[in-house]
Amino acid sequence: MSNLEIACNDVQQTIFLFIDHELPSEEHYPIFEIHFQQCPPCHELLEHERAALIMMQNLLRGTCNESAPQELHDRIRATIDGLGNTTAVEFFSQTTYTEITFDGTTSISVTQEFTQEIRHEFPNE
Amino acid sequence: MDEQISGELAVVDPTTETLAQKKARFERDAFEFTNQLYAAALRYTKNPHDAQDLVQDTYAKAFTSFHQFTPGTNLKAWLYRILTTTFINTYRKDQRRPQIAAGELEDWQIHDAASHTSDQGRSAEDEVLDNLTDGDVKEALAALPEEFRMAVYLADVEGFSYKEIAEIVGVPAGTVMSRLHRGRKLLRESLAEYAKERGFNKSGSATTGSAGGDHE
Repeated sequence: MSNLEIACNDVQQTIFLFIDHELPSEEHYPIFEIHFQQCPPCHELLEHERAALIMMQNLLRGTCNESAPQELHDRIRATIDGLGNTTAVEFFSQTTYTEITFDGTTSISVTQEFTQEIRHEFPNE
Repeated sequence: MDEQISGELAVVDPTTETLAQKKARFERDAFEFTNQLYAAALRYTKNPHDAQDLVQDTYAKAFTSFHQFTPGTNLKAWLYRILTTTFINTYRKDQRRPQIAAGELEDWQIHDAASHTSDQGRSAEDEVLDNLTDGDVKEALAALPEEFRMAVYLADVEGFSYKEIAEIVGVPAGTVMSRLHRGRKLLRESLAEYAKERGFNKSGSATTGSAGGDHE
């Protein structure tokens, strides 16, 4: 077997990575494509798996497409407007970032995972 | 400071913009994802009330962290990361739910895809999926274990890559691959079950030959 060949078993085990275009390297694609050209059973498996995945994706996309109620759009806008009055009392601990809003009652904690730096002075309006 | 660093659509220096500018930029760029985030939040929380709260919290956090978002990079993925992290850290906390053991996640059988389809009439189960209702699909997806449901949703509805999902969910890409693969397999089997029932109810013969016994 030359290094341009790949066993049916290996193709079958990783066929979904090929379909998802998630093979580890671009160099792998031609090797798979040559195999599919030369191996009818693997080609048939590819066509079947791809069709099944597309069908499932279409089903999911056709049903999981709810629109947010207008109430939510309004709430988000009001929230962002409210944050405009933030006096930006803020501090960091090792793991959390806490923000106290202007009325002192609402606090928001964000894990440090996506709050990694102390932000600059909040400009005044 | 040089404000013309790049030729991007929106040349902005998040460190010097005023609050009003930041708000305008946030509303312009981030608000278009509200519907998508809400649909994802419905999958996460499984109820409209919590989904609305989750999306609202996500936007509040996104705005207060918006200075850390690099303009021109993937805003949608960044918002999904906040949505997902917020869900995991807060909304899920008070729910007692069985966690999937780490070992079980890694113990995936990569050849499942082949074994699933090679021993039986291949197209029989897929052909009858036409019979499924929206409710069937949502139920089947909701019944998946959470980690699998997230991976399937982010990949197959939102079209994120494994690497993007890894960053959104906060796990290695190999774990994403495992969860996605298993999640799809479970969902496919579940949808086939729903379809089979629908088929029987409809014609009584729609699934002849597809009742494969491949439940390991």
